[in-house]
Amino acid sequence: MNSKILFLSSLILIFFLNLFTEHIDPYYYTILIYIGINIILATSLNLINGYTGQFSLGHAGFMAIGGYLSIAVSTYFAPFFMGTFGTELFGQTISFIIVLLLGGIAAAIAGIVVGVPSLRLKGDYLAITTLGFAEIIRVIIQSLEVVGASQGFRGAYIFDNGVKAAQIPVDMANVPYVFYSVPKYTNFFWTFTFVAIIIYFIHNLINSTYGRGFLAVKDDEVAAESMGVNTTKFKVIAFVSGAFFAGIAGALYGHFNLYLNPEDFNFLKSVEIVVMVILGGMGSMVGVIIAAVILTILPELLRSVSEYRMIIYSLLLIIMMLTRPQGLFGVSLRRKKLKVKS
Amino acid sequence: MRFGGLTCVDKLNAYVGENELVGMIGPNGAGKTTVFNIVTGVYDPTEGDVKFLGTSVVSFKPYQVAGLGISRTFQNIRLFPSLSVRDNIRVSFVKSIKAGFFDSILQFGRFKKEEKEFDEKINELLEIFGLLDVADEYAKSLPYGEQRKVEIVRALATSPKLLLLDEPAAGMNPTEKFELMNLIKMVKEKFKISILLIEHDMKVVMGVCERIFVLDYGEKIAEGLPEEIRKNPKVIEAYLGETHA
Ligand SMILES: Nc1ncnc2c1ncn2[C@@H]1O[C@H](COP(=O)(O)OP(=O)(O)OP(=O)(O)O)[C@@H](O)[C@H]1O
Ligand SMILES: [Mg+2]
Repeated sequence: MNSKILFLSSLILIFFLNLFTEHIDPYYYTILIYIGINIILATSLNLINGYTGQFSLGHAGFMAIGGYLSIAVSTYFAPFFMGTFGTELFGQTISFIIVLLLGGIAAAIAGIVVGVPSLRLKGDYLAITTLGFAEIIRVIIQSLEVVGASQGFRGAYIFDNGVKAAQIPVDMANVPYVFYSVPKYTNFFWTFTFVAIIIYFIHNLINSTYGRGFLAVKDDEVAAESMGVNTTKFKVIAFVSGAFFAGIAGALYGHFNLYLNPEDFNFLKSVEIVVMVILGGMGSMVGVIIAAVILTILPELLRSVSEYRMIIYSLLLIIMMLTRPQGLFGVSLRRKKLKVKS
Repeated sequence: MRFGGLTCVDKLNAYVGENELVGMIGPNGAGKTTVFNIVTGVYDPTEGDVKFLGTSVVSFKPYQVAGLGISRTFQNIRLFPSLSVRDNIRVSFVKSIKAGFFDSILQFGRFKKEEKEFDEKINELLEIFGLLDVADEYAKSLPYGEQRKVEIVRALATSPKLLLLDEPAAGMNPTEKFELMNLIKMVKEKFKISILLIEHDMKVVMGVCERIFVLDYGEKIAEGLPEEIRKNPKVIEAYLGETHA
């Protein structure tokens, strides 16, 4: 009851803040949007790595799938979307929701394909499979001409003779075409609406009897299984939900940047999200959100040393493991216990 | 049951009747815990069969065995350390949730009704076992004896028909052991379930069990009423003689 009201009022607040943010400096606006996207990525990975105790190392792969699929659909099918829903705000909104969900669903399906076989095995196969998976996705995109291969993807050329491509083929230099660039759908409102949705989603899930199943899997798999918890099912559900939101984050990112490059989704990006979760204290939602904010702003402040990002992250992690293994916020912001009216 | 070349439980033929309290004893390493692990599906036996209420459970996963109505405690306590006492017990209700994943997120009427039912059942159990005062403590922060109790309550919360207790008296002082004996008897009467108890403490075993079988090197060497077991020379040699020498 309480959380429902809080959720709806935060949506209203986001709606009004959105009117404000239209006037702020584009640089700060960009950082604000990246903060939102990183919160979605970090909290969704937190469901897998923090609450359920698995170790996924390929979140960038799911983000790539959601991002590329959604902007490819937005551009290649632009005439269809415009024709069906119109070009007014309403039509744009419908189109955006459709491609966002498509991106999320595609990532979730990839999550099932990767997650089911590796989560059924006993032992930690997830880290290595997800790492491999994310790399494979990146390499596939690098060679996929429809989405611009290693040049990156800005939009679709639709030629008068019906050909569609991400670049102008040499032999068609004289054919008339229309270029559909990626529509700039993502704004403060949509980004933070999804931030609110994922926080609401995870908060409600974890604070239910059902959600205690995830924590039980993390704490002691053998005991959970012996108490009738289908541990494989819970791991798969956490993993696939996490992948879904990573796909949404990718779609938001694509429709903000208006350009995607396979290198946006390299191993460094996956590591960055893992660092946010570890720094935030594995399973402390507030901690992970704060870590996502800090780790989005920090590289901006340290632009001059950005090549050393990996080294800084590793050092940060080592120092953390030695001094605060429970994460920055692991203790002070303990998970709330289920309230019970007796 | 064999682990590589080691035969650990061999040709065991045993049963537990309805609402019966049976003890399983034997020296260290006799294979008692292994029997529990086979019955609950943690290990698949290399040969043989386990039947529960007419169903063969050897190919079942542990959660499926739990679903059929077999629950257990562990020799080394395995509570969920990051959960409160109440939530440790709550986990046992996960398998009977009817409201699904999406209900748990949207939290409409059906979900709330079910959560309330679980809360009531949990409170009832906590009350019966005198754990209401510590319900919101982290289970791992309780004294050892209490933790054993929470583990029994958590197992009971899955509504089992057969409860397997693995050395529940280990590490308890005499007063706690006495209380435990009463608790085990009470559980059997109140919940009308069958219990199979592994225990090294002879006072406890002789005090509560209706029937006992003895395992040595994975084989059943004796079976009978407590008094019969106490006098059985094979048992005295294999077990009692050794520990009380
Ligand atoms: N997973 C396993 N792999 C190999 N050997 C095992 C395994 N599990 C148990 N064993 C062996 O099987 C034998 C029986 O072990 P088990 O734990 O069942 O004994 P127990 O009767 O419960 O003893 P205790 O009274 O000490 O608890 C031991 O020799 C043990 O080392
Ligand atoms: Mg044992």
